[in-house]
Amino acid sequence: MKLSRRSAFKVLLICVFSQLSVQVLASDVLRVSAIPDEAPTELQRKFTPLGKYLEQQTGMRVSFVPVSDYAAVVEALATGKLDLAWLGGFTFVQARIRTVGSAAGAVIPLVQREEDARFTSKFISADPSIMTLADLKAKGKNKVFSFGSPSSTSGHLMPRYYMMQQGIDADKDFKNIAFSGTHDATVAFVASGKADAGVLNASVWEKLKEEKKVDPAVHVIATTPPYFDYNWTVRGDLNPALVKKITEAFLKLDSKNPQQAEILGLQRATRFIPTKKENYDGIEQAARSAGLLK
Amino acid sequence: MNATFAALPLSVPLRDPAARGRAAWVLAGLVILWPLLSIGEFHPWVLFEARNLKVVAYFLAGFLPPESSPDFLRELAQATLQTLAIATAGIALAFLIAVPLALLATQALSVSRLGPGPGQPRARWLRRAVRGLMMILRGIPELVWALVFVRVFGLGPTAGVLALGLTYGGMLAKVYAEILESGDQRPVRTLLEAGSGRLAALCYGLLPGSAQDLTSYTVYRWECAVRASVVMGFVGAGGLGQLMDQSMKMLNGGEAASILISFLLLVLLADALSSWLRRLLANTGTGNSVAGVSALALTLAGALGLAVVLSFHLLEIRLGDLLSWDAAQQIADFFVGFFPPDLSLAWLHKVAQGALETIAISALGTLLAAAGGLLLALPASGRYGRIAAAATRFVLNALRSVPELVWATLMALAAGLGPFAGVLALAVHTCGVLGRLFAESFQNASAASRNALIESGSPPFAAFCYGTLPEVLPQLVAYTLYRWEMNIRMAAILGFVGAGGLGQLLYVELSLFHYAQASTLIAAMLLLSIAVDSASAKLRSMMNR
Repeated sequence: MKLSRRSAFKVLLICVFSQLSVQVLASDVLRVSAIPDEAPTELQRKFTPLGKYLEQQTGMRVSFVPVSDYAAVVEALATGKLDLAWLGGFTFVQARIRTVGSAAGAVIPLVQREEDARFTSKFISADPSIMTLADLKAKGKNKVFSFGSPSSTSGHLMPRYYMMQQGIDADKDFKNIAFSGTHDATVAFVASGKADAGVLNASVWEKLKEEKKVDPAVHVIATTPPYFDYNWTVRGDLNPALVKKITEAFLKLDSKNPQQAEILGLQRATRFIPTKKENYDGIEQAARSAGLLK
Repeated sequence: MNATFAALPLSVPLRDPAARGRAAWVLAGLVILWPLLSIGEFHPWVLFEARNLKVVAYFLAGFLPPESSPDFLRELAQATLQTLAIATAGIALAFLIAVPLALLATQALSVSRLGPGPGQPRARWLRRAVRGLMMILRGIPELVWALVFVRVFGLGPTAGVLALGLTYGGMLAKVYAEILESGDQRPVRTLLEAGSGRLAALCYGLLPGSAQDLTSYTVYRWECAVRASVVMGFVGAGGLGQLMDQSMKMLNGGEAASILISFLLLVLLADALSSWLRRLLANTGTGNSVAGVSALALTLAGALGLAVVLSFHLLEIRLGDLLSWDAAQQIADFFVGFFPPDLSLAWLHKVAQGALETIAISALGTLLAAAGGLLLALPASGRYGRIAAAATRFVLNALRSVPELVWATLMALAAGLGPFAGVLALAVHTCGVLGRLFAESFQNASAASRNALIESGSPPFAAFCYGTLPEVLPQLVAYTLYRWEMNIRMAAILGFVGAGGLGQLLYVELSLFHYAQASTLIAAMLLLSIAVDSASAKLRSMMNR
C-alpha cells in the first residue's frame, strides 16, 4: 500500500512538473491585440481578414488575443507580451511613457487611418430636454453621464477635456458619472436610460447609425473639435525588418482591390497613412491638464 | 405593540419590561442609518417611474427566447469549461499556499507552547506575522487581485487563477489552522511532548481526527471558487463572466438568458458534486478498514490530480513562465510602482468618501436583506402551510442563485447607475441567502416558550415576538453580520459595474496607471475588511454572552 501510494504521488508530481517544461517558441508567431473599445465578438470579426492578410504579407502565424481591459493591452505591449497592437491616442501615450528609457526601447507608432488625423467624439442623449451642452450643464446635477472606458481617448479623455474648456467639471457637475467600458455600450446605456447622456467615438456612432442599431430617441447634442486618435503600434525591440514589412503591408492596402477593400471597410478606413509620435503630443497635453496623466 | 397587549386578559402591568433598552437601540440604529440612507442615495420611488419600468420590462422581454445559435453555444460551452478550469486550478494553487501557512500559523503544532522556553516569543511573533499575511491575502477581494494580475501576466485566465489562489489560499489557511486547533489536542500534545517532530505529530496526531473536516471545507471552497471565477471574468480574466459582462452591457437579453442558464446549471452541478463528495467522505470516515479508506483516498486524489493537470492544460497556463526569474522581477517591479501610496489630503478625502459609500451600500443592502429575509422566512419555515412554504422557498432560491453583479446590472436599469443600484443588488441576493438561513433557524427553534405564550392567551404575533424571536435572535444577528462581512467586499466590487464606492475609483485609477492612488484605495479596502472582520467578531461574542 505504502509503495503504491508513493508511486501515485510520483505520477502526480511528474504530471505537474511536465507542465513546467511546456514552453512555446514565440518567435514565429506575431502576437496582435487591440484595445477593447467595442464588444470582443465585434473586434474578432473586424480583425479576422486583416490577420489573414498580415499572415500572407509577413510569412508569420498571426494570433489575435482579445481582451476586455484597455490597460492590460498597454501593459502587455510594454512588457513584450504583444508584438503589435491597435491603440487609441491616449493608450499610445501611456504605452510610450511606460517604455521610454526601458531596455526594449519606446514603442513605435507605425500607421494610422487617414480618418484618425481628424477624429471627433459625439455627445449623445435620449432626453428630449437635453439638446445642447448648455442644457447638459444646467441640468447635470441630477443626471448620470456615461463615458466609455477610463482609458479611452475618444470616449473619455478628449470629451472630458472639451467639457473642461466649456466650463463643465465632469466630477462635480453631474449626479454620477459612469464608465460603460466600450463605445457601443455607451449607446446602449443612453438608449435604455441607464445614463441620461454620454459620449462616444464618432466612427462607432456613424457605424451604429448605418447599421440602424440606434434607438431613434438618441440624438447628438455636441461634437468635439478634431484631434489625432488610433494607430497601430509595435513594441520597441521588434525586428526592424519585420516592422518594415508590417508598415508596408498596411500602407499597401488599396480600396480598389476587392479583398483589401473588405479589410479597409471593417477597419472603417479609406486608407492607412504613416504616423509619428509627435502627432500625439496634443493628447498628452490634454491628458495632463485633465489630470489623467500625473 | 401596546395595542396588541391591551387585548390581553391579564392584570399584570402591560408594559414590555425591556422597552426602554429596545427603544434606545432603535433610536441609535436610526441615528446611524440616516446618513447611510443619504450616502446610499436611497430613493425607492425611482423604481416606479414609468420610464424605468419600461426599460426593465423591455430588457426582460428580450430574455425570451434564449440565444441558441450554434456559434454562440460553442462559445458558451468553451467559456463554461474555462470557468470550471479556472476554479479548479485556482483551488489547487490555494491549497499549495494554504498548507504551509496553516502549519506555521496553527497553535496546535507549536512546540514552544508546550511550556516556557527560549523560543516562545520568537514563535509567537512568527505566528503573528503569518496570520497577518493570511489576513492581507484574504482581505483584498479576489477581483482586485485579478485586476492587478491581468496587468502583470497579461491577458486571459492566468490572472484569475492566481487571484483565486491568493485569496482562497488566505481563507483556506485561516480555516485549516482553526480546524487543526479545534480538534482533540491530546494525541498531538502527547506526541510533541514525547519528542516527535512537527510533521510526524501532524500526520499521526492531528490529521486522523481532522482530515474529514479539512477535505470537506476544501471541497466547499471549490464550489465557492466556481462562483467567484464567474465574477472575475468581469475584469477580463476569461470564462463565463467575461461573456456575461458583455451581454449585460449591450443589454442583449437573449444572450444573457443563455449565459445565466448555463451559469445556474454549473452552480447546481458544483453544488451536487461537492455535496456528494462530502457525503462520501462522511460515510467512509467512520471506522472503515484502513485499506478501504486508502483506496478511496487514492482514487479521489488521482481524479483530483488529473482534474488539476487538465485544468492547467486547458487554460494553457505555463507554470514555468510564472515561476521564472523574469516573472518574479516583473511582479517585483510592478508592486514597487505601488509605493509610496498617495497620502495627500485631497486624495485621502476622496478615498474616505468612497469608503463611506461602500460601507453605506453594504450596510443598507444587508439591512434590507435581513428585513426581507425575515418576512420571507416566516412562510418559508412552514408557518402558513406547505404551499406557502414551497412557493417562498422557490423565490428565495431564485433570488440567491443569480449573482450580485447580475442583479446590479438589472438594478442599474431600474434605478439608474449609482450606489442605490448596488444597495438593491446586495439586498435582493442576500435576501435569498438570509431568508433560507432564517427559515432554518425558525424550524430548529424549540416551540416550548411560544406554545406556553399561546396557551396562556397571547396572540400569535406577540407569541412570536416574545417566544420565538428571543431564542433565535442571536443566531439571526450572527448570520446577518456574517453576510455583512461578505457584502462589504462585494460592495467594493460592485463599483466595477458602475455602482459607486471604492470599486469604481479603483477601476478608474488602475486604468489610468495611477498606481500610487490605487494603492491607497487597496489599503482602504484592506482596512475596511479587517475592521468589519473584528467588529463583527466582537458583536457576535457580545451576543453570545
